[in-house]
Amino acid sequence: MPAEPVVATVHIEASPDRVYEYFTRPDAIVRWMGEYAELEPVPGGQFTVNIGGAPVRGRYLQLDPPRRLLISWGYAGSERLPPGTSTVEVRLTPEGTGTRVELEHRDLPAGERPGHDIGWRHYFGRLGVAVSTGDAGPDPGMDDPGTLTR
Amino acid sequence: MSDAAFHALAEPNRRAILRVVRDRPRSVNEIAERFEITQQAVSQHLKVLKQAGLVDVRRDGQRRLYVVRPEGLAGVRDFLAEFWPASLERLKQAVEQAVEQAVEQDDAG
Repeated sequence: MPAEPVVATVHIEASPDRVYEYFTRPDAIVRWMGEYAELEPVPGGQFTVNIGGAPVRGRYLQLDPPRRLLISWGYAGSERLPPGTSTVEVRLTPEGTGTRVELEHRDLPAGERPGHDIGWRHYFGRLGVAVSTGDAGPDPGMDDPGTLTR
Repeated sequence: MSDAAFHALAEPNRRAILRVVRDRPRSVNEIAERFEITQQAVSQHLKVLKQAGLVDVRRDGQRRLYVVRPEGLAGVRDFLAEFWPASLERLKQAVEQAVEQAVEQDDAG
């Protein structure tokens, strides 16, 4: 059973044409995602981006410039999310003087066993403390001290 | 999710370190300068995170760079649920910065 899609959205003060380039040009994509990219923005063309050392591999499945992209997404060598298993849809819609970017990442695998997909966010909460033993020390609660970047 | 991973994540500084290395590889120095704990303490936390399979180490010349290991996190979906909003925020900054620079250049020319 697949997991719920991940959705994210943002408004950008620039035209869809300009935003679209940031999903299709290697020099533009690495301005916001990853350190290295090889992109062939044609149907079936490669979508290769290394992000924080994680080798994201996929293909452009559909392109409708500058309104929509459909990209397959996986990690090379990953058993959990191998290349071709999940898809990312990006929709760019004019909004005021800018663009609304809507992203949906779907066909993600669910956890292998119940509770697995409790996941990342909850590890930042009490759960990790509750199930761990040893020198965890006092936990301030759900959130981190505010000294950090996000 | 292994007990080691739970244990590693139970410590607030380690969760914070994980966030710092989530988006790109960083050296111990780069990580330590964001915290009010010693570099030695950061190194110790990184060792625990590495043993739990939550970070990987890469070599860059003389430097050792630490990066998050997505496979070590049980919930791929939840990893991406944090990844995408943060990425789109950086996309916004990158595009709008470029637009501003283009306008400034037009003004200058």
